[in-house]
Amino acid sequence: MSDRFFEIKNGNFVASEKNKVNNVNLKIQNQGEIISLLGPSGVGKTTILRTIAGLQKLSSGEIFLKNKLISSDNIHIEPEKRNIALSFQDNSLFPNYKVIDNINFGKKRANGNASIIDANEIINLLHIEPILEKFPHQISAGEAQRVSLARSLMSKPDLLLLDEPFSNIDQSLKDEIQVSVKKLLKRINLTTIIVTHDSYEAFSMADKCGIILNQELKQYDVPYNVHHEPNSIEIANFLNKGVFIDVKVIDSECAVHRLNHEILGEIRGKLSNNFPSGAKVKLLLQPEDLIHDDQSKLKLEVVDRKFRGTNFIYTLKTKNGEHLPVFVHSHHIHQHEKSEKFGIKSPIYIDHLVCF
Amino acid sequence: MKNLTSRYNFWFFSSFTIALIVALPIITVFFSFFSETSNYFTLLRNTFLFDYINNSLLILISVLFITFVLGVSSAYFISFYEFPLCNFFSWALILAFAIPGYIFAFSIIAFFENYGTAYSVLTNFFGAYNYNPYIPKLDGVLGSIIAISFSLFPYVYVLTRSSFFFQSNNYIEVGQNLGLSERETLLKIILPSARPAIIAGLALVAMECLSDFGTVSIFSVSTLTTGIYNSWISFDDLNAANQISFILLIFILALLSLEIYSRKEAKYHQPGRGFKPINKIKLSGKKSLLAFSFCLFVFLISFVFPVSQMIYWTLKFPKYIQDIDLVKINLNTLYLVGLASLVLVFISLFINYGNRISKSKILNYLTNFSVSGYAIPGVILAVAFITLFSNLSDLINENTNIGSTKKIFIGSIFGLILAYFIRFFSLTFNGIKSSYEKINNSIDESAYLLGYSKIKTFSKIHIPYLKNNIILIIVLISLEIIKELPITMILRPFNFETFATQAYVYASQDLIEAAALPSLFLISWATILILFSSKYILSQKN
Repeated sequence: MSDRFFEIKNGNFVASEKNKVNNVNLKIQNQGEIISLLGPSGVGKTTILRTIAGLQKLSSGEIFLKNKLISSDNIHIEPEKRNIALSFQDNSLFPNYKVIDNINFGKKRANGNASIIDANEIINLLHIEPILEKFPHQISAGEAQRVSLARSLMSKPDLLLLDEPFSNIDQSLKDEIQVSVKKLLKRINLTTIIVTHDSYEAFSMADKCGIILNQELKQYDVPYNVHHEPNSIEIANFLNKGVFIDVKVIDSECAVHRLNHEILGEIRGKLSNNFPSGAKVKLLLQPEDLIHDDQSKLKLEVVDRKFRGTNFIYTLKTKNGEHLPVFVHSHHIHQHEKSEKFGIKSPIYIDHLVCF
Repeated sequence: MKNLTSRYNFWFFSSFTIALIVALPIITVFFSFFSETSNYFTLLRNTFLFDYINNSLLILISVLFITFVLGVSSAYFISFYEFPLCNFFSWALILAFAIPGYIFAFSIIAFFENYGTAYSVLTNFFGAYNYNPYIPKLDGVLGSIIAISFSLFPYVYVLTRSSFFFQSNNYIEVGQNLGLSERETLLKIILPSARPAIIAGLALVAMECLSDFGTVSIFSVSTLTTGIYNSWISFDDLNAANQISFILLIFILALLSLEIYSRKEAKYHQPGRGFKPINKIKLSGKKSLLAFSFCLFVFLISFVFPVSQMIYWTLKFPKYIQDIDLVKINLNTLYLVGLASLVLVFISLFINYGNRISKSKILNYLTNFSVSGYAIPGVILAVAFITLFSNLSDLINENTNIGSTKKIFIGSIFGLILAYFIRFFSLTFNGIKSSYEKINNSIDESAYLLGYSKIKTFSKIHIPYLKNNIILIIVLISLEIIKELPITMILRPFNFETFATQAYVYASQDLIEAAALPSLFLISWATILILFSSKYILSQKN
């Protein structure tokens, strides 16, 4: 096994003046890893995939696959010679061939490789069997996406690129297919890069997740860290997981760090960044950070309540006008109406004190 | 990949060459207009030129009015109402495409002439009498207007019908919901929405009408096209012919611009998501009879009348059956159609593929220019062609020992195919392009990523997808070439006849009854081709 299965070094990816991503450094150490690239629409995620696949030229930098240079300023290996499969977001099935024939197209490249997966398994796994004899125009967008994925898998590539692979698939089938595909990719040890704008998908599918914002790869880390310890305000805002409140660092020297908020009082936990005692910082407060407690003396006014199926998200208003989200399990014994007082367990303890 | 992305590559020069070839007739006409004016043209300018323009415009305006009434009314009845035989009429009305104007002209002459078919019918029904003074003489300008209108109205019918067809029922339902009557719905919703398609259809009619040579020539009407032909054939004055061509081209190019503009507008009326097909209203009583009678009248006059007239004549004058070498003419037609289709389809595929993989804007502009060839009337093209290659041959003769090169281009199959190429390149190029554009670029890219080279992608993905479309385009080109008259007549090799030229030659020798058999064969071939392609023709959005 090589010391780097795939690497982008100082890669500049340009599709247009607005659609570009600069100075990307990204490494996939081992074969079989799944990484996801997460970012808003139009940020350049697809441009990166197309460039890796060889459909666009790399503006500058280098891309290596299995230690071989495949793209640089002056080297460009044609897409058909890269053994990289890309499953497009839109329908890219050959319109004049049936679904089964489209899937079999993938075999051309696979012919030389040892068979590690058979067509029937992919067909079953992606629930394609009922539509095998249909033409692409006779199937739904979600089905077309699954067929496209099957075709890519059949080609047994060295690297699989998936562009928003589940975006058109029904919610009822999405979770099941995500789990099955991840299992399969792991079993056949197929290195995969998934591009998505859905953070849940990115976190659940990938071993590592890259966040692309404002034409840059801002963070590349395991999903847990990206979620709990975003490295900038803009990532936290993009992930839209909580709000920022003004706090003061009381103690950053001990094992348990302490912060103070004017209304919430003392907040304990572990600071993800170092700040000196006395510093005024912004703390990321996520819905799961505050715990509801009817007996608590710390009470705030309810201004909104959203039902999310498994939970409620209450929005509470502090005296100084801040709005704080609080997660409450939907089986909680009673519900609070707007304008009611809502108790928060105090003192507040948050594992990751993400401050900027 | 590198060589494809550079601006001036193989594909650029190929497209440039094609654009240049197609532009040659226009360039020739343009330069001829500014060359020295001949005595004949000066004479013409002071005498008949005004008549030429006058007649051309009179015929044009009348034909536009009649084709509008016939095309839009029949399309309206067939699209929105159910009445006896309405499904039959929906495709039967396009059979008029099989009848060129000049064959319609033969039929009118044969029917209305002294002691003609009308006379025989009246005699058979009412006994012998001199009916001639009571039978109207539909000749000259009036005859030309009727013949051209009935042969061209399907352009308006087809485009309007598909525009009506693709109008979502939602619009009509909203109109009804807002309290509009049937008549108000027609005037305020249906017609305005179909306006771009109707104008596009009328613009095509106008271009064909101004280009018409056969019909006006049979009726001996002096128009710009017959003026061009006569300047060349009777006065041997190519310069004058080209100068008249210039005037005609100005009219044609104005109409072409209108047609292109309307077609762009028509794009906004294509169905999107939520499209609901129109619920036809079942007619009964007088309304049903009116719709049925109108469509029957149009069908009888536009198709049954000329066909039965040609059959009647063929049977009445069987001696001409022996005089005409049908096998040879069939083979000639097949030869021309086969060769022209092969050249046109091959080059159109080639240029389309080049445009697709090189994605160059300049290349696109060049090819858009080369498709303007279809606007050039056949007679202008043929005369300009002769002018150009005569001058070229003289130039080569003067400066080299090669000898005359005229024979290579004029009076040769090669020259004829080249002229067809200029005239019909747009038909094949656009036909293939419209189908090619339906293949998403990501499909090509998927193929590359699955290990297919560009050539393999072309042969394994593009060609199988385009196959049906190519067959259809061959059918449509065949239809055009079988009906084509002026180019074939002027540029064909000596003694090389097609059904169109044979019929015209007989008619111009006052042996109009002998023209019936080749005309009948022409109609038969054309009808078969139309029936083959009717589904496609009727589904055209633009």
